[in-house]
Amino acid sequence: MTDTLILPSSVPQRPRRHRSATTEPVLIKALLIGLCLVLLTVLLFAPLIAVFDEALQRGWAFALQSLSDPDAQSAIRLTLLVAAITVPLNAAFGIAAAWAITKFDWRGKAWVITLIDLPFSVSPVVTGLLFVLLFGANSALGSWLVANGFPVVFAVPGIVLSTMFITFPFVARELIPVMMEQGRAEEEAALTLGASGWRTFLTVTLPNIRWALLYGVLLCNARAMGEFGAVAVVSGKIRGQTTTMPLMIEMFYNEYLSVAAFTMAGVLALLALVTLTLKSALEWRYADQLAATHRH
Amino acid sequence: MNIEIEAISKSFGTTAALHPVSLAIPSGTLVALLGPSGSGKTTLLRILGGLEFPTAGRVLFDRTDATGLTVQERRAGFVFQSYALFRHMTVFDNIAYGLRARPRKTRPPEAEIARRVHNLLELINLPDTGARYPSQLSGGQRQRVALARALAIEPRMLLLDEPFGALDAKVRKQLRQGLRDIHDATGLTTVFVTHDQEEAMELADLVVVMSMGRIEQVGKPEDIRARPKSEFVREFITA
Amino acid sequence: MTARSLSFRSPTPMPGWGLSFGIMITMLSVVVLIPLSVLLWRGFVSFGPGPMWEVVNQPRVWSALALSFRAALVASLFNLVFGVLLAWVLVRYRFPGKRIIDAAVDLPFALPTAVAGIALTTIYAPRGVLGSFILENFGLRIAYTEIGIWIALIFVGLPFVVRTVQPVIEEIDHETEEASATLGASRLRTLTHVVMPMLAPAALTGFALALARSVGEYGSVIFIAGNLPNVTEIAPLLIVIRLEEFDYNGAVAIGIAMLAISFALLLAINLIQIWSRRRMGAV
Repeated sequence: MTDTLILPSSVPQRPRRHRSATTEPVLIKALLIGLCLVLLTVLLFAPLIAVFDEALQRGWAFALQSLSDPDAQSAIRLTLLVAAITVPLNAAFGIAAAWAITKFDWRGKAWVITLIDLPFSVSPVVTGLLFVLLFGANSALGSWLVANGFPVVFAVPGIVLSTMFITFPFVARELIPVMMEQGRAEEEAALTLGASGWRTFLTVTLPNIRWALLYGVLLCNARAMGEFGAVAVVSGKIRGQTTTMPLMIEMFYNEYLSVAAFTMAGVLALLALVTLTLKSALEWRYADQLAATHRH
Repeated sequence: MNIEIEAISKSFGTTAALHPVSLAIPSGTLVALLGPSGSGKTTLLRILGGLEFPTAGRVLFDRTDATGLTVQERRAGFVFQSYALFRHMTVFDNIAYGLRARPRKTRPPEAEIARRVHNLLELINLPDTGARYPSQLSGGQRQRVALARALAIEPRMLLLDEPFGALDAKVRKQLRQGLRDIHDATGLTTVFVTHDQEEAMELADLVVVMSMGRIEQVGKPEDIRARPKSEFVREFITA
Repeated sequence: MTARSLSFRSPTPMPGWGLSFGIMITMLSVVVLIPLSVLLWRGFVSFGPGPMWEVVNQPRVWSALALSFRAALVASLFNLVFGVLLAWVLVRYRFPGKRIIDAAVDLPFALPTAVAGIALTTIYAPRGVLGSFILENFGLRIAYTEIGIWIALIFVGLPFVVRTVQPVIEEIDHETEEASATLGASRLRTLTHVVMPMLAPAALTGFALALARSVGEYGSVIFIAGNLPNVTEIAPLLIVIRLEEFDYNGAVAIGIAMLAISFALLLAINLIQIWSRRRMGAV
């Protein structure tokens, strides 16, 4: 037997550096990482830097000055208003849809899920067109609404509706897989303990889905504030009245008011960065409670 | 092919997985590496297969140093614990994979590959499964396909990591005999890792009992049973 | 059991069915279904398939639709390759700043399209930082050409393939790659014959999602495109132009053509998923 014999003198050092069977050579790795960084710089980081660079080309004071323009102010207020209406409505829809889909068994569920996803594959411009057709001056409903003092197209309700369409799936898409995975046992337990339906929802379901809900709301809000195509079609771009921040950017840009355009763009870019930061923080902290981190 | 392990040690960072161990395996032996989890048996097997590299020491195949050989050059038929079948390929393509991966000069023509694959499917008693996907097979069938895939490359030795670990008791017993038969038919030096002392004792010619990165005892099953060298071995084989 | 399976919903003590189902169906109808049916009604019933075909079957419309589809295809193919590469690098390699890069991949989801549009135009214009460099060294104009449209659509579709492929790479069992190596395959062969086929269904799903998104994209494209009829005029822009001319029927016809393309892509995504599930269930 030769077990546990130590032969230090006869053992040479490893002849060469070994390569693991499941990785690429270091040089290839470095090349691939480098290629990715170059492409990301050219495609993602350069535009982001350009926004702030252009906004500040004549200094902070000048940039901030452009935000105090009355039209700019009204655009900011309108965008906040639209998000403030759209996001809670879509969150309510997302919770209701996720509850109906995950807590009950019924026929046609798969079809409804497909329908909820539908807005993802509709062009924003087509979305705007939908609401122009439904509520525009050339439709019976539209002219009746205008006659009764409630215009939808070229007015705030149209902007809200088309933004809702665009962001419709965000919250539901995040909540459905999470609630599906969590099952029904905890709610059933609460009910057997005598809790009412609302109490069960507020004390059992909501705490379980809060981070997923926040995640969905975050993405929904980012998209709602940034929507351009659908709003461009439905709003009529009336300066100071139906012009949201993205539309204001276009106007300033086309009027060669570069600093004003990029300053407003910078505000939205900051919002995007805050969104990404919060989103990543949620993913790192609560990965197990988010659908986005184990589905896709 | 005979295998010699000379003072192999392996550490991952500061923790030693293998203290220097040495072992000689005569050609054609069926060897069991037996031990609890964390005993270093899988690390030793992976070093033999070229999937892990020793911190110090040498491996010799037929008296020539094989320590520096890459995993591809070793031609070890390796059967993984999870079987690691390619799930996007049919059973046929799984078994043919190693032959098709050869450089053009040594690659057999497709007709020859087909012939060999069919022979192997006969050998493992699954003659009509070539067109199926791994997901359509039972656990025991998958294990046999993994074995056939490893045999297809005409390996110099057969290495199996817990080959029966994921199977229920009944299938386990059947496949044990299957492995013995294949070993006897091919005459390949075969090393398998197991934590099941009954499996090791029943199947192997030579049992290597390991614990905490050291070899506790090497011997024929009946010798180990009759004369356990340490308290650990005694307890482990009677457990 | 028969009675139960015939009823619309199986009985359960869970509360809130009426409320949740009611809210869901009402909002789905008001926001999505009724508006979409109005579009289809306007197109197929009021206007008619024949006249719609006449509107679409004009050189300017065809070239706009072809441009939108072609540019989306080019950009999504680029994103297919780059997305798989980026996902691989992000999952398998370690390098400083990896977490930030990983988070930054979602920038196109978070950054408003108009912001992306003017920023890309500024840097890729002939006098922009990158635009002037490329013009001087390669003689290529980016902004105000079709290449500019590709760049904008690459930006918009970048996260899709990365985010569909990443979890699949994370789940690949190392033993699968080791098995390939023990059978004698080189690392390159393992990547092309074992790893790539495993990623294919997810990569194709991401590709189709990116394609669906970029075919209809408007905000990021119109700034960089140049918008020359028959050359750099995308289909969504043509809808906007028709609406500005109060040619509602024209807008409807092009809109329906675009919907058809999107739904074909949606169908393709579903077929890919069914195919991959059937082929390689759980092993």
